Amino acid sequence: MPRPTSFGKDTGLQVRMTFTIFLLGLVYAALIGVIFASGYTPLLIIVAVMFLVQIFASDKLALHAMGAREVSPQEAPQLHAMVERLCVQANLPKPKIAVANTPMPNAFAIGRSPKNATVCATTGIMDLLSPAELEGVMAHELTHVQNRDVMVMTIASFFAAVASYIVQFGFFFGGGSSDDDDGPGAAVVILVSLVVYVVSFLLLQALSRYREFAADRGAAIITGRPSALASALMRISSGMERIPQRDLRASEDMAAFYIFPPHAKNSLMNLFSTHPPMEKRIAALSRLESQLQGAA
Amino acid sequence: MGLFDILTGKRKLARPAPDRLFAMSTANITFETELGLRSAGRAGIVFQALATADFDQLVTDMVEVVKGISDDSDTEVTSQDDDYGYRWIVLRDPDFDDLVVGINAVSGAIEAGGYGDRLLCAVFAFQNSAGRPLYFIYNYKRGSFYPFVPAGGAQQRDSESELRLKAQIGAELPIEAELERWFPLWGIPI
Repeated sequence: MPRPTSFGKDTGLQVRMTFTIFLLGLVYAALIGVIFASGYTPLLIIVAVMFLVQIFASDKLALHAMGAREVSPQEAPQLHAMVERLCVQANLPKPKIAVANTPMPNAFAIGRSPKNATVCATTGIMDLLSPAELEGVMAHELTHVQNRDVMVMTIASFFAAVASYIVQFGFFFGGGSSDDDDGPGAAVVILVSLVVYVVSFLLLQALSRYREFAADRGAAIITGRPSALASALMRISSGMERIPQRDLRASEDMAAFYIFPPHAKNSLMNLFSTHPPMEKRIAALSRLESQLQGAA
Repeated sequence: MGLFDILTGKRKLARPAPDRLFAMSTANITFETELGLRSAGRAGIVFQALATADFDQLVTDMVEVVKGISDDSDTEVTSQDDDYGYRWIVLRDPDFDDLVVGINAVSGAIEAGGYGDRLLCAVFAFQNSAGRPLYFIYNYKRGSFYPFVPAGGAQQRDSESELRLKAQIGAELPIEAELERWFPLWGIPI
C-alpha cells in the first residue's frame, strides 16, 4: 500500500515565514522612501558596498574566527563519508568540510551558495553524538546550505543595518538637504530609522527562528530519522550545561548559523533569541516522527 | 530550488529517475567488446532504511519478488547494512542483464511501497583487464552514471582512470556532467 507523501509538510511554518518576510519588506520600503526623500542615499551605497564585501569575503574570516580548519577525507573519513551520502540524498554538491578543535559541541554552515559552502563540526560534537545523531546534525547544516540561509539572512538584514547606521551616525550626515524644504529633516529620518531598526530586529529574530525550524524539518526529511536529530539536540543541550561559562566564546554574528545557540542558558526572552527553544524544536521533530510512523 | 522555495524553506526530496538504468545493459556490450571490462557478477542498490513498521516487511517482500523473477536464473539476493547505517540489497548473478533487471525490480518495489525518495544509488561491480576492481554508480536522484575506481590506500580514488572511462563510455551511457557530484561510496559491500 503506497504511503502518502505528506511527511514533512508544514504549511503553517511556511505561512509564518512568508508573512515575516513580507512585513520586513514593508518596513524596509518605508525606510527606503524616507532615505531617498532626504539626502542619505550615499550612506545607503556605502553600506551596500560593505555588505557586498561581507558576502564575498567573510567565509575564510568566519572559519578563522571559529578556530575551524578544513579537513581532507584522509583526516576525517567518517565525517566526509557521512556528508557525501547526505549530499546524494539531498541532491546537493558536496560542501567543504571543516573541523573546529573545541570541547563545546556545535556545528555550523557558512557560504553564500551551495557551490561555495563549508560545513563545520567541532571535535566536541563528534565525540558526544552517535553516528546517527551526528548525521542528523550535519543534515540540519546541509539544509541551511540548501536553503541559502546565509544569503537570505544577510540580505534580509541589509536595511536593518542601514537603519542602525543612520541612527548611530545620522547626526553627522544630517543636513544633506537642509536647503530643500520638501525633504524630511535629519531628525525625522533618524526617528524613522530607529523605529525601523527596532521592528526589523524583532522580525529578523523571528525569521531566524523560523529558518531553524525549517532546517530541522529539512534534516528530518533528508535523513528520514527525526528522532535522531531530537536526541542529538537533547544531548547537546545537556552537554552545554556542564561546560563552564568561560568556554562560550562564540561571536554574536555567527550565533544564527550554529545548530545550537552558544548562550542558550542566558536567553532573556524568546523574542531576542536567534534559535527557538529546545523544547519547541524537539516537539516539532516529534510531530514529524509521528507523521512518518503514522503514515506507515 | 526556486526563489519562493528558498524564501520559505520548502523542501522536496528528488524522486528517483529509474528509466536510464537500462542504458547499462547496452553499455555493457561496449565494455566487453571494446574496453576489456568484465562484469564481476555483482550489483547492489543502497537506500536509507526507515524505521517505520512497513519498511522491514517491504524489504522482505522485495527479496521474495526478486527471487521469484530470477527463478530460472541463479540470482542470489542478500540484504545487509553498511557502516553508515544505510541498507544494501546485493545481487549476485553471472548474467549481467539479469543483474540490471533485478536491480530495477528492487527499485520498483521500493518505489511502489512509497519509499522511492529513500533510494540513493545502484552500483555495478566490474573488473578491468588487469583484474582491478572498479564500479559504475547510478545516482537515482539525478538519473546519471559515474565511474568509481578505488585506488590503494584509505579513501583514495583513481581520478585519472575515472575521467578516462568517462571519455570512453560517455557516448553510450548518460554520465553525470558535474564532477562534484561523483560521490565516492566507501565500504561498498560488493
